Amino acid sequence: MKLQSNSDAETKEIGHRLGEHLKRGDVVCLYGELGAGKTTMVKGIASAFGINERDITSASFTLIAEYNVSVPFYHIDLYRISPDEVPELGLREYLGADGIAVIEWAERAEGEIPEQSIRVILHHIEDNTRLIEIKGIHMGTSD
Amino acid sequence: MLILGIDTSCDDTGAAIVEDGTKIISNVVSSQDEIHEKYGGIVPELASRRHIELIWPVVTEAMTRAHITFNDIGAIAVTHGPGLIGSLLIGVCFAKSISFVNQIPLVAVNHLEGHIHAIFLEASPDFPFIALVVSGGHTSIYRVDDFGVYREIGRTRDDAAGEAYDKVAKLLGFGFPGGPIIDAIALKGDPLAMTFPKANIAGSFDFSFSGIKTSVMNYVKKNPGSKKEDIAASFQSSVTEVLIERISEVVKAEGVKRVVLSGGVSANSALREKIGHRAIKEGIELFLPSLYLCTDNAAMIASAGYHHFKQGNFAKYDLNPKAYLPLVSATG
Repeated sequence: MKLQSNSDAETKEIGHRLGEHLKRGDVVCLYGELGAGKTTMVKGIASAFGINERDITSASFTLIAEYNVSVPFYHIDLYRISPDEVPELGLREYLGADGIAVIEWAERAEGEIPEQSIRVILHHIEDNTRLIEIKGIHMGTSD
Repeated sequence: MLILGIDTSCDDTGAAIVEDGTKIISNVVSSQDEIHEKYGGIVPELASRRHIELIWPVVTEAMTRAHITFNDIGAIAVTHGPGLIGSLLIGVCFAKSISFVNQIPLVAVNHLEGHIHAIFLEASPDFPFIALVVSGGHTSIYRVDDFGVYREIGRTRDDAAGEAYDKVAKLLGFGFPGGPIIDAIALKGDPLAMTFPKANIAGSFDFSFSGIKTSVMNYVKKNPGSKKEDIAASFQSSVTEVLIERISEVVKAEGVKRVVLSGGVSANSALREKIGHRAIKEGIELFLPSLYLCTDNAAMIASAGYHHFKQGNFAKYDLNPKAYLPLVSATG
């Protein structure tokens, strides 16, 4: 499925809709360059679990931020990680268990990520326009 | 009374001996930037391994320079968050062990609270004051009414200011950490060459730096031939103006004309110069710690720990580090 977003607010809305379709054990991988809207997307996804979007900030510093809401929600950001460091991170503890894991810069950890993960690719089209491609989940018809 | 401070919240291993919360007897920080430069950032596993290797030598060095033994120490103050969990764990486990073996009281310090206390190693600001903690991992404003009494007034909604520096430095092809590099290069550029957006969040004192970063990215893509010095200078100008504007707004809203800066980004020369001018213009009493106390260090942790000790706020041996740890008033 491909959706167009023309603002941060629309990206969050798309994230929220995706969040509503997630279930325990799901892994969502986010791909896109710096500024593509990955953290904005995470804010939207997290809002579907009752997490205040203000509480979702960049996880580049701490790498893994954990929120204990109705399900354990893991926000993972691999921006600073080189692929050869990934095996030592213990990522598998967070993936596919009883929680929801959303991973920014997921391409740095391809070998660790379950085959059946949901993939979201954010294409930076113009200043505020993004094309958001969602694979691996059925979200119903877009309105 | 002497406090041994220990900080392993991020990439530096720090240990310090501080007397009565104000006087630095020794202050050792193992700067690990040379290791991290290669990786374009702080690689946490690498950082934890380095902390394991460095914690004993750094603590021993701090005690040797102070000419003391464990018998002379009144309490051990350790950072228990926020930060990289693997790194925090090394400091906390180490502090608990030496506290237990030598029967020395243990106190737990929030890293952000440590930054706010850096100034007390050099000056004695009166309460209340407004504190801006701005670094690679944090951008927050607090109102501080007394030792241990904090109220968060604003914080970043996305990237920390220092993180924006690191990411912009990387996309311009410079090294790590981005702050000092951009600060130096910006001196050769025109801060008015281009305009990057200064995000305001209506009805809030929160920050947003993600938009500035994205805007620099867009600019670089559209104008591949532009001078990096000008981009660095214009970016720096946007970030520093946002920080100063927000501080000025908070000072007015709270009616507190006393400001303390802290955190790695407060070592930025443009920020120090500009906020100095603004403070004079608006009659604000401004406190800027020396550069070596702005960046992560354990002396500031020992200073904050002294006040926990005085209030009888001790940590138990079930103390665990927390990656996410908002700064709230101590409950004593």
